[in-house]
Amino acid sequence: MNQKELKELIEFLIEKDIAEFELERGDVKVRIKRGGEAHVSASEPDARFFAAHSAPPAAPVSVPAAKPAASTPPTKEAEPAVEEGLHAVRSPIVGTFYEAPSPGSPPFVKPGDVVEVGQLLCIVEAMKLMNEIESDVAGEVVKRLVANGQPIEYGQELFLIRPRA
Amino acid sequence: MQLCWLKTDDGRLPSYNSRIKRTTKKRPARTGAPASLPGIAQKTDVRLGRIVRLLMDNATVVASGTKIAEEIGTSRSEVWRLVQQLRSLGVEIVGHPATGYRLQSAPDLLLPEILAPFVKGTIFGKNIHHYYKIGSTSAAAMEAAAAGAPEGTVFLAEQQTAGRGRGAHSWHSPQSTGIYCSVVLRPALPPSEALVLSLAAGLAVHAAVQEIDSRVQPDLKWPNDPLLDGKKFCGLLTEMNAEATRVRYIVLGIGLNVNQTSFPAELQPLATSLRLATGTEWSRMELCASLLKSLDREYRSLVESAGAHDSILRRFQERSSWIRGRQVRIEENGGGFDGVTEGLDPRGFLQVRTAQGLRTVLSGTVTAR
Repeated sequence: MNQKELKELIEFLIEKDIAEFELERGDVKVRIKRGGEAHVSASEPDARFFAAHSAPPAAPVSVPAAKPAASTPPTKEAEPAVEEGLHAVRSPIVGTFYEAPSPGSPPFVKPGDVVEVGQLLCIVEAMKLMNEIESDVAGEVVKRLVANGQPIEYGQELFLIRPRA
Repeated sequence: MQLCWLKTDDGRLPSYNSRIKRTTKKRPARTGAPASLPGIAQKTDVRLGRIVRLLMDNATVVASGTKIAEEIGTSRSEVWRLVQQLRSLGVEIVGHPATGYRLQSAPDLLLPEILAPFVKGTIFGKNIHHYYKIGSTSAAAMEAAAAGAPEGTVFLAEQQTAGRGRGAHSWHSPQSTGIYCSVVLRPALPPSEALVLSLAAGLAVHAAVQEIDSRVQPDLKWPNDPLLDGKKFCGLLTEMNAEATRVRYIVLGIGLNVNQTSFPAELQPLATSLRLATGTEWSRMELCASLLKSLDREYRSLVESAGAHDSILRRFQERSSWIRGRQVRIEENGGGFDGVTEGLDPRGFLQVRTAQGLRTVLSGTVTAR
């Protein structure tokens, strides 16, 4: 059963308001139970649908930092979050880092700010696709590791956050 | 200044996440709008669409006020009120409560009741939200997506008061002349593989226009600006919310200039509409249906087929005059450089040959030099 069929099946169950459904066909077993939300379990899940992708790291980009201003802190992309207990927020895409919603507006966050899970930290843009980067932990923003307007690699660390104890 | 974008008059910078402006005249929420969609401004009363549908289905006869009232489950006086409202929106309906009503001409409003049958079978056929006036369809779609709106949810507006573009740009969105549309997508892809959707969206607009009139040959400026006569007639902005390995949702916003006959002076050198470029009026309904269908094709193929990524890059290069051998200036955040375009890299980024070597453009604005 591929992803599309599974999706159609779920949509059908929702449409007909069927709460529970079980199907066994060969070595594929699908059991769907709906509460407020559809829960799906399958003995042989389609990796494309369920598993996190192990995306290949993007090829290096030959763009130099757009504006190496004097105030710009040096990038520490090669350096991991050395300080004990700090959590690094990484970029899921290659792109350009923006600290603010638009040029001239105040940044989403600055060092010292306390953020919650899901709070918007920055935007990374690639090909006019604006990727909102949210914090995946609650805590204090200790450091911003990249400069506004700087090109970002896939997986590059953007912020260091001290998780709330 | 970027093609066709316009800063807001009051100097306020529209943000990527600006919330929808509430208008003072908010219609009572009798449209059954889900409570999970906050900040909605002037959502269309679904009964307006039903009346139009009813009159269209009975185009040759006069429909009595009583019959319409029965069909949509309201009173005759309420039908009169709704008909008056439709007239104020430019729908030509003759008659009054005593004589009954007849539709003089089919309205070119993007009402869900009329659009839905055209996009049946696509992911966009089930959840279409229509507004007479809204701040931004993308802002509404982002909010709805964050609140769990399903894939394929469509937000359409006749008019936007805060249409958004990239960075500090807004989108000029006068009433019922353009298509202002945002859709919610939830691709089962890692974020890095979803980027190419930006290029695919441009291809979808290209295909939709050609499906209606194959003589029209739009150009595509990287990453996704559809052009006619060197001017922009459509703006696309994609916003994504993702985890490291998984896209939560994407909102694709489309602003398409269809029947505008003029633009504000500052936009005239940069902007055009399909009507200005072709000399004829276009049906927004037909084009919108065609657009959602071509978007559905591109999107499904990207999510479901392994070869879609390469196909998108190949077709983009075929339809764009900007990808190879073009003298360009690249404006990036605060700076810029000149060079000659030298194709797309495997991820879809534009390569530009400069005096200092080959550079990869991740997010800049491209202009002819």
